[in-house]
Amino acid sequence: MRDIAVVSFAQSPCVAANRRDDMAGFLLPVIRDAVQQAGIDRDQIDFFASGSHDFFEGRTFAYIESLDAVGAWPPISESHVEMDAAWAFHEAWAWLQLGQGDIALVYGIGRGSLPRDLDQVLPAQLDPYYLAPLRPHRHALAGLQARALLDAGRTSEQQLAEVVSRSLAAAVANPAAQKSGAFSVAELMAAPYVASPLREHDVAPCGDAAAVVVLAAGDTARRLADRPAWVRAIDHRMDTHYPGSRDLTRAESARIAGARAAELAGFAGYDVDVAELHVQYSHQEMILADALGLTGALINLSGGPLAGNPMTATGLIRIGEAAAQILDGRAGRTLAHATNGPALQQNLVCLMSTDPA
Amino acid sequence: MSAEPGPPLPQPITSVKSPFRMDYTYVAGAGRSVFLRGLAERKLLARRCPGCSQVYLPPPEFCSRCLTELEAPFELDGRGTIATFCVVSFPFPGQTIEAPYVVAHIHHHGADTRLMHLIGDVAPDEVRIGMEVEPVWVGEDQLTTSMTSIRHYRPTGVAIGSESTRA
Repeated sequence: MRDIAVVSFAQSPCVAANRRDDMAGFLLPVIRDAVQQAGIDRDQIDFFASGSHDFFEGRTFAYIESLDAVGAWPPISESHVEMDAAWAFHEAWAWLQLGQGDIALVYGIGRGSLPRDLDQVLPAQLDPYYLAPLRPHRHALAGLQARALLDAGRTSEQQLAEVVSRSLAAAVANPAAQKSGAFSVAELMAAPYVASPLREHDVAPCGDAAAVVVLAAGDTARRLADRPAWVRAIDHRMDTHYPGSRDLTRAESARIAGARAAELAGFAGYDVDVAELHVQYSHQEMILADALGLTGALINLSGGPLAGNPMTATGLIRIGEAAAQILDGRAGRTLAHATNGPALQQNLVCLMSTDPA
Repeated sequence: MSAEPGPPLPQPITSVKSPFRMDYTYVAGAGRSVFLRGLAERKLLARRCPGCSQVYLPPPEFCSRCLTELEAPFELDGRGTIATFCVVSFPFPGQTIEAPYVVAHIHHHGADTRLMHLIGDVAPDEVRIGMEVEPVWVGEDQLTTSMTSIRHYRPTGVAIGSESTRA
């Protein structure tokens, strides 16, 4: 295995809706920022990988427009995943492992503001025979999951409010956060339900932002960053498509991905200082903390997705934030988690460290 | 020995109705908006890259080769030559024009990129690469921020000869 590290991370502020920029206009400043932080010229980048989804844009091959911000002439080597860009990060890591180059740039574009009504769009990700025809409300499956978790005695509405209160308070220090502030648990619990037991603030606020992570191998990484965030392991797993055949109170695919990553890395969830979890809803923090064995980690110091959720960039931002903790010398070992699909169906775990091995 | 015929197979379900409708907001972006607004005023607005001097029509916000913001928009007179074309001879769902008709890449005088549009007011078998064409704009009441503000391009009657393609 080659030693591969994150050497820079940048993102645009999470906003409810960006009506000024097309995809390229939206991405270009973020690429410039990440490339400048790494101190490289774009000609030095060997591979580009990106993640976004046509269903948020309403056009086929929508991401092609973003290549205008990459500088795709003369032709470059690039790839795209039709899902969260954390999976593009995984592809770039694998590409570097193959030894075909030394620097890869990964970007994610989230444009959740373009669908006029997410209730029209999100059912399209469900099983087409039994579930999609029912057109469940965008938060219905998460509501079922949260209710099952409460019923199992694994959390309470008060604990959900505590997660939100802590996340939004942490987000005050994050200039990219869409939502932040000091909210008391009592104040939060007085809010109305959107999908009982979930309230508006329990839901990660869907919006627009772009994120960029630069990866480099071996001595190149050492040259480009003072404290590279070495990717010690990365693994992803997915659960069955039909939520009714899962125990929604557990994230078995996250557990397996975490266990496999721990085997590769030589350290596990309980060893990390900081974890960035892709929670689409507050109650998912408990499910993920259990599945990943996060007994001592500080969770979502950036505020996490409850403070800003540019869908399909949100997972990559978790990796970027967890890497930034190491790049800035604030943590020694970190964990990043990303998810895709309804109710934590697919899960990716990335373990990073100040040490390459 | 012949097999006993089993019970008849159940009639399979061959389709499930689940029609999706999705409505979106289209964000044209700062650069493309300049061009589209120009069309509503019968103007073809191009922009030049300060780095490599390439003139874009339609112009984005920045050069996709240099990643540099393009200079201020300027108007082209609309005339150009046919860089390449094809004759569409078959019908397809959603088609709004009766076949056969001509679709062309038009290399506008003063621009370095090509714009795709229809060629009209000429028989398809008379269209040639290198033919000079000009836009035929729709009526005042139909002008809008869309490519449909140009009905089609038509020959100017001036023969330019075969165009040399850019390297």
